[in-house]
Amino acid sequence: MDIDDILREVDPTFHAIPQEKRDLQDLTRAWVAERCAPELLQWPANDLFERVNENIKRQIEKVEEMTGDMDPKTNFVLIVLQTELERFKYLVRSYLRARIAKIDRHTLHYLSTDDLRSRLSEMELAYATRHQALLHNHYLASFLSSFPPALQNLNDTAGNVTMIDAPDLDSAVFVRLLRDTAVEARDVDVDSSTGGQENAIYILRWSDAKPLVDAGSAELV
Amino acid sequence: MALPMPPGLTHAEVAFLAEMEMVTIVPRQRLESIDLLSGQTPPLRPPHRAQLPLWLALLLKKQRRANIVPPPWLHPASLSEIIHRETKENPQTFSPPPPPPAHANPHDPGHARRLADADADTILSPPFQPSCTASAPAGYLPYHWLEVAEALLAHAGDDMAAPAGEVRSLLRDLVEVRAAKMRSSTSVLGGAENGLMELTGVGAIELAESRGFVLGVVDGVRKIGASAEAARREDEEQGSGIHDDGGSDDDMGI
Repeated sequence: MDIDDILREVDPTFHAIPQEKRDLQDLTRAWVAERCAPELLQWPANDLFERVNENIKRQIEKVEEMTGDMDPKTNFVLIVLQTELERFKYLVRSYLRARIAKIDRHTLHYLSTDDLRSRLSEMELAYATRHQALLHNHYLASFLSSFPPALQNLNDTAGNVTMIDAPDLDSAVFVRLLRDTAVEARDVDVDSSTGGQENAIYILRWSDAKPLVDAGSAELV
Repeated sequence: MALPMPPGLTHAEVAFLAEMEMVTIVPRQRLESIDLLSGQTPPLRPPHRAQLPLWLALLLKKQRRANIVPPPWLHPASLSEIIHRETKENPQTFSPPPPPPAHANPHDPGHARRLADADADTILSPPFQPSCTASAPAGYLPYHWLEVAEALLAHAGDDMAAPAGEVRSLLRDLVEVRAAKMRSSTSVLGGAENGLMELTGVGAIELAESRGFVLGVVDGVRKIGASAEAARREDEEQGSGIHDDGGSDDDMGI
């Protein structure tokens, strides 16, 4: 420990958020956003899930090691560790399940363009492609094959009517501003633009809120 | 496998989030630091206070290993003040959320500085802001106020500064006052002059309760007015086109 470390410890302004807490904040925010947004969001880019999964795996190993000794003092620590482990696992599981629900609902939509495909993680992409192929083969085997070939596609867009179902991007959502920023909202009668204060909560259309959320100036609640 | 639930957090999920709020405890037993996934817990040395997440504090409380210090805003005086503000001073809007935590700035004596400024890339938001600890400001309701208050009353009623019954009845008043505001806020939805509806200061559980209704109304209004809106946008586009022509005329005049 050198003098800088000592100084940093007593410096009241040095409040760097530790990585673990940052990960939990990011994970929680991603989960809430995925639960509230009408469409699938971008898979977190900064290796958040690899890191969290790695930590969970390590913690499970630690719990397994500790179950061996029966000292009542470590027993309580064990309960605490396991409780927290379950909470983390719940967050991760609920997040992934919310994403799968959205992928299942609009599979063809998320597979239709490269931009949308890039939102899925590798595993999700493999799942969606394979699931869609199985489904289409099943339809072909059971009834589609008796249709004329021109009518056998599931993604026909002829006549300006698309067969691909897409989520309603104009659905309303609740957002909280994380920093002061301008908020633009479209509405039936009039469009408006306000200078929003930090911590303010608004009801917006998702299509208006998405730029703010992507820029990190707002979060879904 | 897929989550069979509509968008929006359920009550159970909100309660789960609220259990991550940090609270202040007074330990009654020594406990070494525990290496948790969310970081190390502080070592517990009675009678020194420590900050722990609510779920852990409740666990310690149930095992009689610690007492929980109720946050200042849960004091009856603070609750009555908030009720007064919600009913008399600001009968239309919710009382404001707590101000962001600030610290003295040694480089600029006399000026406070935001905690978050040290770390601009991750902005903490509830439940990770210290808004339920003993050092939280009185007179402001944090985002998870009702859930934290209920959890503390149910499991740590004997740690309250005042009889639990008194706190409970004040909380009930507050819930009713605010529920009435939530209901009346939807009446401005239809005829709002600007498209932005603000609900600053609302609590998580209040949002969860009326999310379906409020968002349903907003979406319904949008769908009814969809054709009118499309027509208006078209008009505006043409209008701005004419305006541009006028501008170029002026230019030619000059």
